[in-house]
Amino acid sequence: MIVEDEMLLAMELESEVEALGHEIVGIASSSTEAAELLSGANPDFAFVDIHLMDGPTGIEVGKALAARGVSYVFVSGNIKKIPEDFAGAIGAIEKPYTVDGMRNALEYLSAVIAGDKNIAPPASLMLAPPGLKTPRLRGASFSAA
Amino acid sequence: MTHRDQRNANAMNAGEQLLAKHVREDPFAAAFKATRMPMIITDPNQEDNPIIFCNVAFETMTGYTSGEVIGCNCRLLQGPDTDRETVKKVRNAIAEGRDIAVDILNYRKDGSTFWNALFISPVRNDQDRIVYHFASQLDFTRVKSREADLALARHQAEEEVARHTAELHAALRAKTVLVHEVDHRVKNNLMTVASIVKLQARLTADKRQRLALMSVLNRIEALSTVQRKLFTSEDVSRFDVADFARELVTDLVTALRRDDITLTLDLLPVFAPAAKASPLSLIVNELIGDAVRRGLEDGGGNVHVVVKEMNGLLLIRVEDTSAPVEPSSESAEFSRRLLEASARQLNAKIDRKIEGRRTTVDVTLLVEPNWEIRH
Repeated sequence: MIVEDEMLLAMELESEVEALGHEIVGIASSSTEAAELLSGANPDFAFVDIHLMDGPTGIEVGKALAARGVSYVFVSGNIKKIPEDFAGAIGAIEKPYTVDGMRNALEYLSAVIAGDKNIAPPASLMLAPPGLKTPRLRGASFSAA
Repeated sequence: MTHRDQRNANAMNAGEQLLAKHVREDPFAAAFKATRMPMIITDPNQEDNPIIFCNVAFETMTGYTSGEVIGCNCRLLQGPDTDRETVKKVRNAIAEGRDIAVDILNYRKDGSTFWNALFISPVRNDQDRIVYHFASQLDFTRVKSREADLALARHQAEEEVARHTAELHAALRAKTVLVHEVDHRVKNNLMTVASIVKLQARLTADKRQRLALMSVLNRIEALSTVQRKLFTSEDVSRFDVADFARELVTDLVTALRRDDITLTLDLLPVFAPAAKASPLSLIVNELIGDAVRRGLEDGGGNVHVVVKEMNGLLLIRVEDTSAPVEPSSESAEFSRRLLEASARQLNAKIDRKIEGRRTTVDVTLLVEPNWEIRH
């Protein structure tokens, strides 16, 4: 799922993710919409912007995702707002990202979720500090982003 | 004769007796009378410890004549604003036969006030009995008021400084908020512009048109990347050209998924001011982009990127072993013009060398004093 208040960005990200063979369960532009979406869907993975329609509520959305065991990354122009423990996120992709940067990050995340532990993270993905509790990655592939 | 008259007469007599003990030429008595320091003598053995003698300086200071003060207790100098605690200290010292020095607010005959540095000391006879009290006075109103003025001025200055500091803090907070807001909008706008071009490219069936759109997107993304580098650093007014080059080239080459294009880097931090960010990012982007594009067509090769300071110059070098550039190509021409415009903007020099399959492009520009170099 995609949690992002800029619709154009969200739609472009959706097509990028779909181009890699994944399915988007929905786009939420506020924390309320994210909660609604989560109550009716069971995503394997999420992209979460920090600043949403209802304010800087992305961190809370992230915590809710982590509590449900959903892996996610922050996608934000304001990575300084991410708490030290990354709120359970795998990492962060900083905006404005490039097509290549996002593609490299997506491939890395797909590979890691598929169980490949030897792949090096791309420059465009800032990983959460090691040793933190992040939700156990589910499934053999992230077929429903 | 009333009780009061009797007392005055006694005090007067005591004073006269005291004087009678000293011959006219007694230098101590003469000094006492003539000194500019106001002085009095009181007699504690008479009722209410009256003044029995005062000098001319005392008369001048208080406005009383000697006839008016003799027979009176010193409290005649006190008034409504005289500090009661200070008076109590004086009284206790006299009762205990001790010296005392206090600053006390006193009143002249005309009711005006003055600050009096009062010193009282008991005078003992051979039997160690207190026979007189000697008191000297000093009007230090001017000193006191200067002190008060200074204290007030200092207090006002401190308040002023505190107020200005608070204002500066508030202004700085407002500026920081504003910078972050503007930064956020710039990033959002760059992402929106990129999204618009991506959307158009996705919906464009014609391959050449789509390539043209992706070529535009590539330059927008170079600007996006440098904007991101600018505001993640501690110092928002500068960015590291080497760090920017590293991210740009690794992202580009990683995304190609081409094993036949290899990358080597020789990068040292060079912090350039934000004002030069856009042309510098385009220069790095064009040099790398050109080499990679030729590598794609040519069937691979090595791309070597150098960013470092050398002899006061910033050197950006991209060396590749792909086929030399074709001057007729539309995209090569576009890239060349962007590179030249950016170089002109920065007063930078472009040197292109082609030796067989090896192409080396050096862009050099003067490092100015406000740059920061780390070796």
